[in-house]
Amino acid sequence: MSHGGKNRVIRRALEVIRSFFSTMSMAHRQQVVELTTLEMRELENMFVLLLMGSFTGLPAPPSFISVELMPYLEHELKVVNRRAENSSDALAEMAGFFDVT
Amino acid sequence: MKTIFFTGKGGVGKSTLAATLAWQLSQAGNNVLAVSFDPAHNLGDIFGKRLSHRKKRITDTLYLQEADLDKAAGTYIEENIGILTQIYSYTRAFNLDVYFKVLRHSPGVEEYAAVTTMEQIFREERTFDYIVFDTPPTGLALRILALPNITITWVDRLRRIRRQILEKRYTIHNISGKYIEKGVRLPFEEKEDPVMQRLEILFKRYMNLYKMLKGAENTIAVVFNPDYLSLRESQRIVTGLSDLQLPLRVAFDNKFTPEQQEVACEVEQQLFPGTDHVDVVRVPMHGYAREGAYQMSFDLTKHFVP
Repeated sequence: MSHGGKNRVIRRALEVIRSFFSTMSMAHRQQVVELTTLEMRELENMFVLLLMGSFTGLPAPPSFISVELMPYLEHELKVVNRRAENSSDALAEMAGFFDVT
Repeated sequence: MKTIFFTGKGGVGKSTLAATLAWQLSQAGNNVLAVSFDPAHNLGDIFGKRLSHRKKRITDTLYLQEADLDKAAGTYIEENIGILTQIYSYTRAFNLDVYFKVLRHSPGVEEYAAVTTMEQIFREERTFDYIVFDTPPTGLALRILALPNITITWVDRLRRIRRQILEKRYTIHNISGKYIEKGVRLPFEEKEDPVMQRLEILFKRYMNLYKMLKGAENTIAVVFNPDYLSLRESQRIVTGLSDLQLPLRVAFDNKFTPEQQEVACEVEQQLFPGTDHVDVVRVPMHGYAREGAYQMSFDLTKHFVP
């Protein structure tokens, strides 16, 4: 094998190794992001539940706090709605979240 | 600026004493604002003036105001309905937006209106030397005084959860650069998040109010009569105030006559057994409550002027 040929093989091998590690790190990162997102969803859900507790029969803060924050809570309300819709099937919710089909 | 709250059962003479004190302080050369939160609004009657939500000049040093809680509640609700209707503007198509008006009758709105008005007065009327508040009857007064504390607790907890949410969003953003969800960019910094901003404003506002209420510049006075009915209710006020850790400093045994000496002693003893930080003052019966009752010869100012 010529000298140049050897170099090409080494370079190729390095690329493979690099892409292996970068894929691994990407996978790890994605896992972390997914877990954090799940945690965040639950927090958002709790935040709105606490704030709007009177709708579900929980003790609620003074109603004016809810009223003052309501206009900004569109996203959180969507999260709560989705949680409520899927609450009877937590496994499906989880599977859906991790894109398991 | 010093603030004085008059609390007590209905009919014991809160408004009369508040009016008298305001008058005497203003006659001594202080700038005084007297505000009535009592829906019965006796303050105007005592001075023989028609008062409104805006302060009215009586003399160069005395201003009077009647806080209109209905109106304040109305304004607050209108503002928020405005925001809600803007956001849920599609409800207009079905004429459903009128239903938001039902919020006006939700519990706690009156207290909220009172606290907001009080906070506004504290913030805006700093030029006065004294602000004298005539409070509504016991139950509502205690709820109003408790509200800042309750609100602070709630807002603080909500703030902590919100901060955690934002931290999570920040982490996600940092790792993957992905903070756009279904085309919506979610704020992840405290300064960008309108919910956090709103919570911060509420927290600051109520913290200031709470500090004012608890501070050395504030005095809460309880008014009672030398009889047993007023004793029971005054006991509830004293306990309520101590639960809220608010400074009760002066107690007025109002409408005192020498014949009631025995009852008065017993009532005072039961109300303040062995407390020395409350100044108990007997105010003699000074004729019937009527217009002009504020011009009483009994000097109240010495209990409030350092």
